[in-house]
Amino acid sequence: MEPQWLYSTIVGISVGGVAGYLGSLMITKRMALVGDALGHVALPGVALALIYGFNVSWGALPCLALGILLIWLFEMRTKLPMEALTGIVFTTSVAIAFLFLPESEVSTALIGDISQINLADTLVSIILSLVVFLILRKIFSQMILANLSEELAKIEHVEVEKYNLIYLICIAIVVSLGIKITGSLLMGALVITPAAAARNLARNLSQYSYGALIIGIISCVAGILMFWFFSLPAGPLVILIASLIFLISLGFKKR
Amino acid sequence: MSDIVLKVKNLNVEFEGEKVLEDLTFDLREKEILVILGPNGAGKSVLLRTLLGLLPFQGLIQWKKDIHKGFVPEEFVVSKNLPLSVKEFFQFKKVSLKEISQAFDWVGIKISEKFLEKRLGTLSSGQLRRTLIAWVMVDSPDVILLDEPMVGIDIHGRETIYDSLVELWTKKGQSIIFVSHEIGEVCKKADKILALDKRKLFYGLPKKVITPQNLAKIYGTSMAL
Repeated sequence: MEPQWLYSTIVGISVGGVAGYLGSLMITKRMALVGDALGHVALPGVALALIYGFNVSWGALPCLALGILLIWLFEMRTKLPMEALTGIVFTTSVAIAFLFLPESEVSTALIGDISQINLADTLVSIILSLVVFLILRKIFSQMILANLSEELAKIEHVEVEKYNLIYLICIAIVVSLGIKITGSLLMGALVITPAAAARNLARNLSQYSYGALIIGIISCVAGILMFWFFSLPAGPLVILIASLIFLISLGFKKR
Repeated sequence: MSDIVLKVKNLNVEFEGEKVLEDLTFDLREKEILVILGPNGAGKSVLLRTLLGLLPFQGLIQWKKDIHKGFVPEEFVVSKNLPLSVKEFFQFKKVSLKEISQAFDWVGIKISEKFLEKRLGTLSSGQLRRTLIAWVMVDSPDVILLDEPMVGIDIHGRETIYDSLVELWTKKGQSIIFVSHEIGEVCKKADKILALDKRKLFYGLPKKVITPQNLAKIYGTSMAL
């Protein structure tokens, strides 16, 4: 067995799992499309990484940090809705990226490429995914409480603003890791679709969040294995499997 | 005389230049039930939120040190689709099953495994209110602020729950601030009544302050149809 098989499968398990878990929180907070938008915001960094040959996640992360900071600053200055500002920032990012993204790298940037993954990338993905998962697990119930009622959460001494910031940082990290697998264009689906499928099946919160985690893992691993067998691009396969699971979950939806 | 739990002096709250609360002064003692009365829009909910530190204000709000507060908000809506079970809702507070079951007893619900597994969003409005009250009470706060807690609970249920809650509060020595827009059952068992319409209308023992003249101060305009 080639080491790349093993590396990519391990990356799929760790990133797919944490993306699904994060997605369950993002759907609850009605922020499902934020993952999608941020995937695009990362594009200039991804382009630089591809040109200079370093890990796309490292290119994506500073771009995401800058993007989130800009959206936050614009919101304070203009009081325009967050989604409008996010729209401006993410389309600007895409426009900038296409000024210098070489044509040969367009497909990698947009739909990902995990075939060149090495041991260092794999270790970084495992460690970051695990850290983000543990942080999210710690703040999960407080975030859900704040989502039910911010007042109740504050009275129960939940530091809502601080938790929101931690949560945004977690989103940025997961998006930058996921871009490696699915690319900028499809990253959003990695957080939305597994969680949406789990929501159809779950009866309570732990079934929902861990269900999303498991569906995220299944989608990534199955997509990546199919990539090695059929030589079709991995990113789209991962997303299509997640969508298929979502379609199946509709049949089980609890009323 | 029992200890003072909360001291409020010359409290003013403004929203965008408009005064919502003006120059309120009152206090709350240990084991005291304070009922706050007033018409709609009198600033009752604003007062509770301000006391809880959720809104900016001018004046003095002084709570007893390290006091454990509970709050039953007037609005509490849960999406039907949120997969959060009743049991998980209580797990935010890290309490045992026995404590959960006891808290539900206080609000007149006999819980079963099936009830605990129900989604919070699928409860009827009355059940949800009772569940919320049980949730706030489950870890025995020293002081509980309730904003129209009985809205959505049927009349008969209201009286029974209110009676059993008052008994429990007295037994546990909890201090209570209870906001209501209507005069009734709640006032009979109150230790003190504070009526307000942006500013204080009257404040004192129920026997002394519940007079026809005073009631006209609260409801006079709204009743003159």
